[in-house]
Amino acid sequence: MPGEPKRLEHPKTVYFVGFIFGLITLAVVTGVAYHLSFSPHGPAVLRPLKAKFEKEKKSAILDEVRQHEEFEKHRHFHHSVSYQQLPEQKRPVCYICHSDYPHGKNKKVRALLNMHTQFFVCETCHLEQQEGQAVTYKWYNPLNDDPKGPFFGTSYDPATGNLIEGDDPFSKISPYIHAGGKMESAIQRQDAPLALDYIKVKDTLTPEQRDNVKKKFHVSIKAKGHECKTCHSKGGILNFKQLGFAENRAIDLEQLNIAGMITKYEKFYIPNLFQ
Amino acid sequence: MPKIPLFYGLLILLLSLSVSFPAAAADKENCLMCHKYRQLGRIDEKGRKISYFVSENIYNKTVHRNVPCRDCHTYITKLPHDPVTEEVNCSNECHIKPPFSQENFSHKKIVEAYNKSVHGIKSDDPPDVKQAKPYCKYCHQNPLFMKVDEKYIAGKTLLRCLNCHEREGVTKAYTHITHRLGHKTSRSPQEVVQLCSKNCHENVEMMKKFKVSKNTLEAVETYNESIHGKAVALGSEEAADCLSCHATHLIHDVQKKDDPESTINPKNLIRTCKQCHTKVNKHFIQIDVHSNVEKNLLLHMINIGLTFALYGTFIGLVGLMLFETYGRKKDGIKWMLKKGTTWRGLSRRIPKD
Repeated sequence: MPGEPKRLEHPKTVYFVGFIFGLITLAVVTGVAYHLSFSPHGPAVLRPLKAKFEKEKKSAILDEVRQHEEFEKHRHFHHSVSYQQLPEQKRPVCYICHSDYPHGKNKKVRALLNMHTQFFVCETCHLEQQEGQAVTYKWYNPLNDDPKGPFFGTSYDPATGNLIEGDDPFSKISPYIHAGGKMESAIQRQDAPLALDYIKVKDTLTPEQRDNVKKKFHVSIKAKGHECKTCHSKGGILNFKQLGFAENRAIDLEQLNIAGMITKYEKFYIPNLFQ
Repeated sequence: MPKIPLFYGLLILLLSLSVSFPAAAADKENCLMCHKYRQLGRIDEKGRKISYFVSENIYNKTVHRNVPCRDCHTYITKLPHDPVTEEVNCSNECHIKPPFSQENFSHKKIVEAYNKSVHGIKSDDPPDVKQAKPYCKYCHQNPLFMKVDEKYIAGKTLLRCLNCHEREGVTKAYTHITHRLGHKTSRSPQEVVQLCSKNCHENVEMMKKFKVSKNTLEAVETYNESIHGKAVALGSEEAADCLSCHATHLIHDVQKKDDPESTINPKNLIRTCKQCHTKVNKHFIQIDVHSNVEKNLLLHMINIGLTFALYGTFIGLVGLMLFETYGRKKDGIKWMLKKGTTWRGLSRRIPKD
């Protein structure tokens, strides 16, 4: 085209230099934008907007729970460790109402009873066994049909003497019922949507209605669990060795390490619990 | 199966017997029998989750690993014990004798400094103030021994120690001492600023309970705006954090400005600034570290002017480029990166003759 200045192809280094300068420009632009909008060192013009948006989404209860979790970390002093959690929809139905810390009444034993939720599902202790029904106990993992272990707490680390953690944080000992040559899980899994619905409408129900629903949930569930001795004794209902516990660990569980601990509990603390 | 000679058999037996159990050493009374389980805990009457879990694997690696549980939790007198209502008192003596000392170990000295400081809980404090003041555990978690790369930190120095001392003991003692020697505090400046700000000094509503001055209320904000704050925020390990100026080597003796012992008392400021700045005189210490430009109208106006100049230049330049681009496109000049130039062709506005 006449009049158009003649331009030559630039050498490749020019593109490279151009690219570097492009990057620098981009970094400066991003920096200035951040400085202007949110940075704690700049005018932060967008911060009030963000705060307003967050305020709308805020929940007072959630804030309080989070703040307490933060304080609990400081109160505890012995490092709090966070462990992997089961996804909400995979948790056994009981946890919807009762949480991971279901026991709260008996001051002396509530924490000790809660400790057991790490090892077995609620039904292992609270299953109302029908007459003539044979119950077997196996490891159950909601994410894995056939968990093989090693499971937490089944053996000691010979180097430190501490319990071996294993790779399976979710398996728990769970009851199975023999029915017509087949083994059927005794865990109540089917009512999760109903339980969630109950949580929503709980406050609008009359006490009688609430009782009705609760009965519906707690089919073949007894309020009082087993006594310590049912499992922590020789020939208890849990066959520790069959469940994969190491021999020395099984013996410790049968005798519970300190002689007389169980008797002490039965005499002083448990009587009220099992009346 | 190969036969193992009796001597080697005995040796193996002896070695296996001498394997040590560090946790078991401190936990003579087997408290971990229950407390090693992570679900040990409850939801308390106020609906708060309280955990009683102590990880045996982590506790082994903390500085308190040799302290028996009941040296701190003295109120536990029987097993199984009653629900705990008392707090641990860190000035208690424990049954550990530090090297070169005949006395039992205690944090008494630090606790005394803390009690005297502004953070110490005084008997005439109202209950909500008492509650809001930070106690030892608020800032300190049972510190972990840091794994230090022997080669990196010790190198040849440690090798010389090993001529006389056993390897394990010396390495442990060396790491114990050296990881505290780098700075005034063993925490990084960023951690110190975070610790003092979060939930406490940046929470203006809470700080109002203490009836502090306006300067103190704004302290976090003005620090973040200051040269020290910006340097720390950008990752400096050398710039001053809160404790660099507000405490002596005792760390816990933070005092109010009027207190003659305070590091920020005008009489002591020269000494405090001299920790980092070499040429400090009476004029230097008049620089307002927590300065709030809005307090002074002139400064405020200058600040606004400079802000406008900075962003005005930047926005002006970018704006000019955008207008230029828009104008050229409108004039029909082509954008061609491929041929080695961005713009090609002539403007429609230029006569074609």
